[in-house]
Amino acid sequence: MNGSTSKRETYAGFLMVSPWFMGFAVLTVYPFLASLYWSFCRYDLLSSPKWVGFANYRRLGSELLAGETLALAIGNTAYFALLSVSFSVIMGVLLAVMLSVEVRGRAVFRTLCYLPSVVPIVAAAVLWIALLDPQQGLVNGLLVKLGLPAQGWFHSTSSALWPPSWPEDHAGRILGSKDGLVLMGVWSVGNLLVIYLAAIVDIPPQLYEAAELDGANRLRQFWHVTLPMLSPVVFFNVVIGLIHSVQAFTQIYLVSDGQGDPAGATLTLSLYLFLTAFKELDMGYASALAWLLFLVVLLITIWLFRISQRWVHHQGAA
Amino acid sequence: MTRKLLVSICSLMVVLSMASATYSAERVEVVFWHFWGGRDRPIVERIVRGFNRSQKKYHVRAIAMPGSNLDLKFFLSVAGGDPPDLLNHDDPVVGDWAYRRVLTPLAELATPDEILQLNEWLFPAARELGTAEGQLYALCNGLDIRALYCNRTLLSAYKLELPRTLDDLDTIAETISPTADKAGRNQIGYLPDPRRLWAWGVVFGGEFIGPQGSLTADDPKIVAALTWMAGYARRYGPSEVAAFRSGEQALTGSAFPLLANRRYAVVMDGQWRVRDVAEANNAAAKVGEIADEIAVVTLPPPPGGVHDAGWVNGNFFVVPRGAQQKRGAWEFMKYWTGFNGNQAAAAEACAAGGWIPPSQVIVDQTAYQKALAEQPLLREFVTLAASPNQRPVPTLPVSSYYYQEVIRAAQQVMYRGADPREELRAATERVRHRLREVRDE
Repeated sequence: MNGSTSKRETYAGFLMVSPWFMGFAVLTVYPFLASLYWSFCRYDLLSSPKWVGFANYRRLGSELLAGETLALAIGNTAYFALLSVSFSVIMGVLLAVMLSVEVRGRAVFRTLCYLPSVVPIVAAAVLWIALLDPQQGLVNGLLVKLGLPAQGWFHSTSSALWPPSWPEDHAGRILGSKDGLVLMGVWSVGNLLVIYLAAIVDIPPQLYEAAELDGANRLRQFWHVTLPMLSPVVFFNVVIGLIHSVQAFTQIYLVSDGQGDPAGATLTLSLYLFLTAFKELDMGYASALAWLLFLVVLLITIWLFRISQRWVHHQGAA
Repeated sequence: MTRKLLVSICSLMVVLSMASATYSAERVEVVFWHFWGGRDRPIVERIVRGFNRSQKKYHVRAIAMPGSNLDLKFFLSVAGGDPPDLLNHDDPVVGDWAYRRVLTPLAELATPDEILQLNEWLFPAARELGTAEGQLYALCNGLDIRALYCNRTLLSAYKLELPRTLDDLDTIAETISPTADKAGRNQIGYLPDPRRLWAWGVVFGGEFIGPQGSLTADDPKIVAALTWMAGYARRYGPSEVAAFRSGEQALTGSAFPLLANRRYAVVMDGQWRVRDVAEANNAAAKVGEIADEIAVVTLPPPPGGVHDAGWVNGNFFVVPRGAQQKRGAWEFMKYWTGFNGNQAAAAEACAAGGWIPPSQVIVDQTAYQKALAEQPLLREFVTLAASPNQRPVPTLPVSSYYYQEVIRAAQQVMYRGADPREELRAATERVRHRLREVRDE
């Protein structure tokens, strides 16, 4: 291959990637940098952005310290992210282990478990709004039949970890809107399930044989072989799951009437950002919120990578 | 045969395209965005057809859009430089948009005489809804008034009368209050909605804006109204209240919560429910039953409160600054509302939709008077429309934010047990701060 051919191939390569590069520059890099600039401006979309220095970030700080809307949004986001990721990982791993066992109709069970994840998010949200309706919903109907109290779901400010403090409240009505969202998230665990299944199939059978020879029962095999071998995949799913939960918007918007209802119980960072930008027309503060969101996700990801060395088992690692 | 068919189709296409070209050369298109759906859509389409038939110069193309986030879509169309010529909307956004120079003042569309007439012609609440910074930016085409719908049959069963005072209303709520079963409650006499602090605050004698334009949502009388509302949440428990209300806002027809299984004895709602009551009556008559008797009363004030008071909003037309066909938009607005002509047809449309006209002139039209005679419940709302005590959300550069913050404060109190005074003070302070920021921009 001579020099001119190599050059031509390089140019052709650049030409081929240029559509992607232009899209990346216009649709990703530009908004990224523009939002950084706007976060230092007062900007309402119509008039030109006006430089205000750190005013938006000062407002971020004061809202956080005063425990106002931003603090509420961060609390709600953390609750939703932590619970939905934890339950998704637990459910995903358990289902994958069960579905990896050779039983009759395994393909049907796998399909049934995967099916919810292909339901469009809007359809899923509408379905869950109906299922979790406190008065007519199927879920509450079932709970009552089982002798359990009906729950408030998307109409309640309560939550499983922080039940209502008012003694006058209806006894046992503990689960609220955030718990409903977590339930929705766990329902569509199918995507993770596929990854776990693939990873389980990849575990060398001789590891189980060795464990069996050492006298390990099924539970110990799961704990000492399956889980360590799955840990890189669990780690991947935790990181991606956390990012997705912190950025979750559509389902939250739909179940909360677009306002974070009831009483801000479902106001997450992404919804607060949307309302600030497009309802209050404060694009500057919304951009500052977006950067806060970005930094939060970045720091969590870095922290997860740091602690991963303690619990993620890499095959072939010393 | 196939060839003949092809030739016929081609000829038809040529004729249609020529007709279309001729039409566009003769008539100027006015793009009109609205959110009217359901039972109202055919009425709106009839108005548009009527206008288009009456016109040689303009042709209105109505585009129905989902009401959710219509303000956002409109705002983005303005920011993108391609707004519609006319928008019909019902959120308290006139102040926000006028301040940001998004809207064309009506004085630029109408003659000075027309503006003078218009100010006289409109009900005070309709005028206030469209006025920002001292001039008209929006033309109201229908008011939304709230009153109490009362199930008289149910009240009689408990030997109760229609509520004339706040104590009467409390007595109804306390008397008609069966205990909850495992699934929750099935019936509550009356239950205030946090969103209606805007109404009860005024009934208690509060003002959301001071004479000098200061924000006063923390007015002691508004605090008193919220404290009274919170008493209901405390009685039943916030989760119980929230669960009971679930999904009932959108229910129509015989599912209207007042009517469905006698869910409530008293409900605050707007004039559009008159149609639901009529439908329920017709449905009962069809199966040989007698429907419950429903009455409408004004919001009962506490001692020292204000009579015929409440919160009013409404539908209004606005013309964006970047609109291409402002004159055509103005002609259509006049046609729809019946200002300076077309009063009879405007009254007919209001009667058909059960809408409250923006002017007494339209109310006095034969068609509307006939509707009032046929639907006595509607008369109570129309009487209230002329009351100066029906107050809209103040038109400010932050009206929308103010509206939401007051509701948020009421929700925090009713659903989370927060202190009414403290919540309203904090909300007012936030809005004041935001107002200062916007004015400094």
